[in-house]
Amino acid sequence: MRLGLAIDLDTCVGCHACAVACKEWNGRSLMGGAPDYDAYGAAPGGTWYNRVRHYEIEGDPTYSPHACGALPDTDGLQPLSKTVNVPLSCMHCEEAHCVSVCPTGASYKRAEDGIVLVDPARCMGCNYCSWACPYGARELDQDEGVMKKCTLCVDRIYDERLPEAERQPACVLACPAHARIFGDFDDPASPVSQRVAARGRQDMLGALDYRPTNAYLPPRKPVEIAPTLPLRQGLTEQAKAFVNRLINL
Amino acid sequence: MKPALSVIFFTVGSGAGLGLMVWLLIASLMPSHIRMDALTFYKGAAIAAALITAGLMSSTLHLANRRNAIYALTRWRTSWLSREALLSLALYPVAALHLYALERGLPQVTPITLWLLVALALAILFCTGMIYGCLKTVPRWNTWMTPAKYLLFGLMSGAVLLPAVLSLRPAEVGPIGRPMMAVVLLALGAALYVAYLMKHPRTTHRINDALGVRAGRVRLLDAGHSHATFLTDEFGFVLARERARVLRWAAIAAGFVLPLLLCCFTQWFWTASVLCLIGLLVERWLFFAEAEHVVRLYHGQPHV
Repeated sequence: MRLGLAIDLDTCVGCHACAVACKEWNGRSLMGGAPDYDAYGAAPGGTWYNRVRHYEIEGDPTYSPHACGALPDTDGLQPLSKTVNVPLSCMHCEEAHCVSVCPTGASYKRAEDGIVLVDPARCMGCNYCSWACPYGARELDQDEGVMKKCTLCVDRIYDERLPEAERQPACVLACPAHARIFGDFDDPASPVSQRVAARGRQDMLGALDYRPTNAYLPPRKPVEIAPTLPLRQGLTEQAKAFVNRLINL
Repeated sequence: MKPALSVIFFTVGSGAGLGLMVWLLIASLMPSHIRMDALTFYKGAAIAAALITAGLMSSTLHLANRRNAIYALTRWRTSWLSREALLSLALYPVAALHLYALERGLPQVTPITLWLLVALALAILFCTGMIYGCLKTVPRWNTWMTPAKYLLFGLMSGAVLLPAVLSLRPAEVGPIGRPMMAVVLLALGAALYVAYLMKHPRTTHRINDALGVRAGRVRLLDAGHSHATFLTDEFGFVLARERARVLRWAAIAAGFVLPLLLCCFTQWFWTASVLCLIGLLVERWLFFAEAEHVVRLYHGQPHV
């Protein structure tokens, strides 16, 4: 079993509900503990397992079918820029370098489902694993002095006291756009595998060869909408527009 | 990367202590070339031990949860940090055995413990370098030059400390000749440091790689946080270019050039040692301050 998330960059609206739900569930969970520091003070901070960032892509021919760049093209069409919201949490990598560099054995990857976890009873808070993570998925719990990270809500997904539909990570349940899907990437029939098969996955820092389990489904190509008004108006149209403006004075 | 003073002091102090230990042991093998009475040897050994131990103690200061530090000895199969911790602790019983054998005059034991100590010191220096060198997430560090620097700079600062220690010997032994090992290693060290600095401006990862976007321009619209986070504290350190330039030249001058001149033309070996250590502290501070972690791409930096 290889559990993980498929995150749809096309439908994510960047509302941060997943990050807030994560804080809410893990704030006092069995494996977690994500404290806030000076929450209502001048410089609030906190440990988060999931952070959402917002980017603009401009001039990518995938999203901008006509001339690219900052200026309109010869037809007067503006270049399309694409806003992409990227929630980032632990990818539960196949090559989890954070685990191999850990000197204490506190970081481990479970053989049965591939979830990467930290054992707070062994962690000495050296931060070395957070250095080894390219995705910024690990943050130190400054109250306990141990490293914290996404647990894939391991204390929810196997909890048989919960209704079956709720045995999913808190971020997945909270997402209003259904942009987050949880499942087993080893099972080709699972919804996550099928989405990835249909849409492909973004290659995020693939050159580092960490082989993330989580998949980011790429933004879809936008549908081009033809302009409804001709851009260069003839004399008749200009006269009609002038009359319309006069009438509406 | 955030330049943590405890780690900077640890790597420079322990490195110099290990280097001094290596050269003291090798010097003790050739009494015809380097005349050293037992008291001077023990003084040198005490200085080396103090540097190594102070460094190791300092390295535990940056741990957020020191109670679990003992577990750091368990993952030597995969972790360079664990290997370093294990070998550092192994140093003490071997050193004690060597001193005991010296004291008792056991000529069949001393060569074994001596070379074991030398091998341990070199291995520890290499492990310290590999802690940083093995990180693919910090392209600046992920080069063979990182362990080479740790190994060479440790041996180099030790070689500069050796004539300073020898200057403690009684006056009737005579003056100290030109410390050629220190001179050669200082020259090599300067060359390696300049090579490391010149390799710097190579771009390895772009913000497009971070998001998996092949073409187009990517820029951060919003980082999603209003104040500093663990990630910005740990990886967001920004060094002004002008300040970096000044510090690099200070490191080259104090760490390599001045000690080289002092060793060549004067007998001020203590001044040379102190200057060399100060220069290496600056060099080590820059080593952290100038290294950029790829997570900075997600915070909007165009390339790392």
